[in-house]
This record gives sequence, C-alpha cells and structure tokens, in this order.
Amino acid sequence: MVRLYPNRCQLVGSAFISGFLISLVRSFIHFVILISRQGKVRLTKWYSPYQQKERSTVIRELSGLILTRGPKLCNFVEWKGFKVVYASLYFCICIDPDDNELEILEIIHHFVEILDRYFGSVCELDLIFNFHKAYYILDEILIAGELQESSKKTVARLIAAQDSLVETAKEETGSISNMISQAM
Amino acid sequence: MEQLKTIGRELAMGSQGGGWTGQSKEFLDLVKSIGEARSKAEEDRIILREIESLRRRIAEPDVPRRRMKEYIIRLVYAEMLGHDASFGYIHAVKMTHDDSLSLKRTGYLAVTLFLSDDHDLIILIVNTIQKDLRSDNYLIVCAALTAACKLINEETIPAVLPQVVDLLAHPKEAVRKKAVMALHRFYQRSPASVSHLISNFRKRLCDNDPGVMGATLCPLFDLITADVNSYKDLVISFVSILKQVAERRLPKAYDYHQMAAPFIQIKLLKILALLGSGDKQASGHIYNVLGDIFRKCESSSNIGNAVLYECICCVSSIYPNAKLLDAAAESTSKFLKSESHNLKYLGIDALGRLIKINPDVAEEHQLAVIDCLEDPDDTLKRKTFELLYKMTKSTNVEVIVDRMIDYMISINDNHYKTEIASRCVELAEQFAPSNQWFIQFSVSNNFTFQTMNKVFEHAGDLVNVRVAHNLMRLIAEGFGEDDEGADSQLRSSAFNIELLFLHSELEFIYGNSTHIAAKILNNILCNKFLKMVLIFYSCMCLFS
Repeated sequence: MVRLYPNRCQLVGSAFISGFLISLVRSFIHFVILISRQGKVRLTKWYSPYQQKERSTVIRELSGLILTRGPKLCNFVEWKGFKVVYASLYFCICIDPDDNELEILEIIHHFVEILDRYFGSVCELDLIFNFHKAYYILDEILIAGELQESSKKTVARLIAAQDSLVETAKEETGSISNMISQAM
Repeated sequence: MEQLKTIGRELAMGSQGGGWTGQSKEFLDLVKSIGEARSKAEEDRIILREIESLRRRIAEPDVPRRRMKEYIIRLVYAEMLGHDASFGYIHAVKMTHDDSLSLKRTGYLAVTLFLSDDHDLIILIVNTIQKDLRSDNYLIVCAALTAACKLINEETIPAVLPQVVDLLAHPKEAVRKKAVMALHRFYQRSPASVSHLISNFRKRLCDNDPGVMGATLCPLFDLITADVNSYKDLVISFVSILKQVAERRLPKAYDYHQMAAPFIQIKLLKILALLGSGDKQASGHIYNVLGDIFRKCESSSNIGNAVLYECICCVSSIYPNAKLLDAAAESTSKFLKSESHNLKYLGIDALGRLIKINPDVAEEHQLAVIDCLEDPDDTLKRKTFELLYKMTKSTNVEVIVDRMIDYMISINDNHYKTEIASRCVELAEQFAPSNQWFIQFSVSNNFTFQTMNKVFEHAGDLVNVRVAHNLMRLIAEGFGEDDEGADSQLRSSAFNIELLFLHSELEFIYGNSTHIAAKILNNILCNKFLKMVLIFYSCMCLFS
C-alpha cells in the first residue's frame, strides 16, 4: 500500500493546536452573551477581539442556531470551530473545542445563582433595567475569559462593599442643600 | 427657570433613592420602549434617536457628574445593542479620573466595554490606572486591576507592572487575586515582559486564601502547557492541594451543589493531566487522589459529572493504571446509558479518549454509539462522528465512510460539509485495503469531486488540495503492478477520474460567477504539477 503522506488525520487539528500555542493571547472563554427568547440582547461581554460588525453577526448567527434547538437536546453546539454552551434564558458562552462543556454550563449556573442572591429571585426584568449591575457581578466571576472566583459568598461581599460605598456617595450628593449649591 | 427645572429633576432622581434602578425615568422609558419594539428596525430607530439626543446633551457644558454617569450607562446600552457611540468614549475616559468610587467604577466599566487595548484613548487611561493601583481604598485598586486586565497591552505593561507585582502582597485577598489574574493576562500578552516574574505564581499557589490559590491555577495551567518539564517538581504540591480540597478542608463558601470547590478540583485535574502525561513517576503520585475522587464524586449533579468527566480525561492522559482505567470505563458507561443528552455527549467524548489506550473498550458500547449516531440532536451526531473517525480501521472503513457520506449529504452547513468530506477522503486514503479500492471508491462515490467543488467554493482549503494533489500523483506514478490487465483497468478508471475532474471544474466555471471561475483557474494554473499530470495522463490514456 503506497502511503501518500504520513498520517495527517489530525492535520487540521494539529495546525489549530500549534497556532494556539504560538499565540499565547488566548481566552479560555471568548465571549458571554445573554439573549432573550425573542433574540433581544441583554448582556454581552467580549474577551477576545471582535469588531462591532462582527459582534452583530455573531449574535445573529448564534440566536438562529440556539433559539431553534429543542428543550431536551445537549446544551452545547459547535459553531465555526468553537463550542458554545448555553442555558435557559439563553446565557451563551463560547469556548475552545477542548474545554469541559459541563463545567462551563455550571459556571453559567454559578453566575445565575449569584444574580439570584443579589436581586432576590432574579427575573429578566432585573437584568434589563440593571444590566450595568449584572456587568459588575460578571466582572467578579470572570476576568480575561477565565474563572476568577468560585465562591458565591466572596463575590457577594465584594459587590456589597462596592454598593455601600456607592450608596454613601449618593446620599452625600443627594442631600437637598448639596443640590441647591450645585445649581448655583 | 432652567435651574429650577434641573433641581426638580434632581429631586425626582434622588427620591427614587436606591429604588429600583437609581436611573432616571427617561432611561426606564427608553428601556421599556426597546422592550416593546416589534421589530429590529423599530428598535434601531429608537436607539438612533436616543444616540442623537445624547450626542447633543453630552457636549453641553457643566453637565452634573451624576447625570453624566447616566448618559454613559445609556451609551453602554446603545453599544450593547450594536450601535456606535464612539463620541462618548472620551467622556467615559474622563469619568475614570473622578475621585468618587461610584463614578470611577462606571467610568472603568464603560471603558472596558467600549475600548480594546489598542485604542488611541488608552494613553489617557494608563496614568489613572497607575494612580488608582496605589489607592488606599482597596475597592478602587480592584477596579483598576479589572480594567488593566482588559486595557493594558504589550506597550503599556511596563507602566503598571511594578505596582501589580507589589499588589501580589496586598493585605486584601480580593486585590491579590486580581493581581494574579492581571499578571497572567500580561504574560499572555507579552511573555517576555513578565518571564522574570513567573516565580510569583508559584508563591501565590501557597496563599492562605483559597480564592487566590484558585486564581493562580489559571496562569500555572498556561505555563505548564507551554513547558511541562519545569513544573514537574510541583506535582506533589498539586496532589496535596487536590487531596485537601477533596477532603473538604476548604471553607464551606467554596462548596457548590454539595461538592467541595469543584471548579478548583477541575483546574487541578487539568494540570495534573498535563504533568502526568507520559511520565510514570509523576503519574504514580497522582493515582491515589484520582481514585478517591472517583469514589467520592456525586454523579447525580451536573457539577459532579463535570468533575467525573475531568477525572476520566486525566486518567486517559497520564501513564496508564489498570484500576483507574476500569473506573473511568465504568463512569463512561454510566454517561452513555444516561437519559441526558449532555451526559451522552460527555460519554462519547470520554470513550474517544479511552479507545486510544484500549481500542477494545468501544466494543461493549456499540449499541449506545449507534443510538447517538441516529439521534436527532446534531451536536450529539457530530460528536459521534468524531468518535467514529478515531475508531476507523481497514475492516470498518467502508461502513464508517458510507455513514459519513450519507450524513454529509444531509446537512446544510458548508463549512462542516467540507470538513467531513476531507476527513472521509483521509480515512479512505489511510485505511483503504488497497490502492485499487481507493480509486474505485473515489470514482464510485464521485466523491473527490464533490470535495473539490466545495474546496474551490470555499477558497481552497490546504488540506483538501493536498489530498487531491496526492491522489493525482498516485495515479501519475502508477502502482508498480506487473499485471497488465489490472494496470490498464486502473488507468482507465484514472482516466475517468481525470475526465470527471475536468468536467466538474468546467461545469463549475460556467455555472458560476466569474470571480469564482477566476479563482479556480488560478488554483489549477498555480498548481503546475496538477495541471501537468492532468494533461499528460489524459493524453496517455487516450493513446493507450
């Protein structure tokens, strides 16, 4: 049997892997997107470089792919050589093909549980009107595309500390005399 | 009058207090109207109107700081929905200079969402970050570190590196943790700038706070991936930490769904998989703790299964141990038999890893694998094909490739189609019982040509062109067989291939727009060898 060239079964795979090692600027998680059942965007956080136009394309494609999937199927889809893990209310996280999908699914749940604690039984409306607070919380859990903190309590404490300082600042500037003097 | 109106508005805002958003009624109305928009076009109209209004108002002199904060938040909102609000970037940058945490934090959030690390405005932020990294208020330091992770690039690393290293020893664990992540990020951006500081990661591994220790596992994983030998001395430390975690010696705050610090366990398992790979001695240290985790894992929760899966990955990666492989096979079995698609998916993946060590383990699960292949879930199907690809031998190549072709014909995703097609050809090529079979196979499936068409359609995938090139070379070189009959039969099939090849090219050229035709011609002409072979052989076959 003439061997035409050495077994290159993994040619594509290994090219991908060697490319990955050469550029150390990789993210474990490439982006986090939250979209509603109707495909409306609630939150987007990009840990890899994506231009504004690319972002719109990504969101459109993923909405099409994920929103049409039935309820009992896998919570993972392959997309453009990456994997996207998604959970209800459609939190979508994009990862590299080698990563542990079930772990990422649980990171989504971890995030949701923290939101729950913070807002008290979080619902979509909370995220719609307080999206900036959801970002602060996300920034305590994930940083540069990696899991930074796995303790709910620690995240909650830090957010509470930030909030209370913000509240104090608000109270100080909120007092009427301040307002009047500002207007002068 | 104007000022009174302003006070009135401020009072209204103030009276909402912490309220439900602390934002103005205007913002609430905006969000509501977006929610009620019936079409993307309507949504776009509303947002564009909002952007125009903000553009005017943000440029007014003496906008109160609290109002500016809200404008910035609204701009973040607009960009999140896909619109451009770049006129507002400079105001977000200015807000990071503010002394109050509330405003500074919003400023930092906005700039990390708006800007990438190569943006021109970054130079205006670096000084602020430097200053904030030295702040007395640890929350401000945290905000600056979070921003640094996103916005500092190769050029600006030197400006903040010394402070970040100092912060590794900060009394507050939140700061140390973020400093570790920032240093990691800098290392990823520019390994040379940080290589002399890598020992800091080793030190933080022994940090008192489990959060800091857990965060340190991220950079260590990357370092070990790049250079596994330098870290073999840490095998025992990692094993010891994993043991403690599994024995529930970490604070309860790290429990998640009844499992002890599972995310940390997973990171450690990934690291140990790398360190034990191909190394009998290192693996020897790992066996015990792995066995413990297999036994203790909660297989009734998702996270428990995630840890189990990671154990299987570890076992199949390190130096083989019979007992652990059995445990892994058993867990894989349970995954495959489960009702949950997620677990079946993991089972297929795990099986793929185990058959590399022991090909026979697949026999037992044939039925389960076929079920997955026939499942309507595309994700599961594709995963199963990947498994089949690993399981192909000369004895089953025909069956497997047939299945793959059927599937390929049924799907719409062109990118994936090309992938499957080229894999089929590779498999056929590698495991074909004979060259003749391979040629016949290609011809009878008209298969390589579908691949070629797709290839040129997608602007030439290097792998596929190489496969075609080699097929042609095989034909041109002949097979060295003495049997005249066999040889001429082969040649005539080869001739058929040439014709079909040319034919499909021509069809493609005439049937499609000219720029694609130009591309194809270019491809053929560039590959002079291919062209020569085609012409030479066609002539030969004509005359023989």
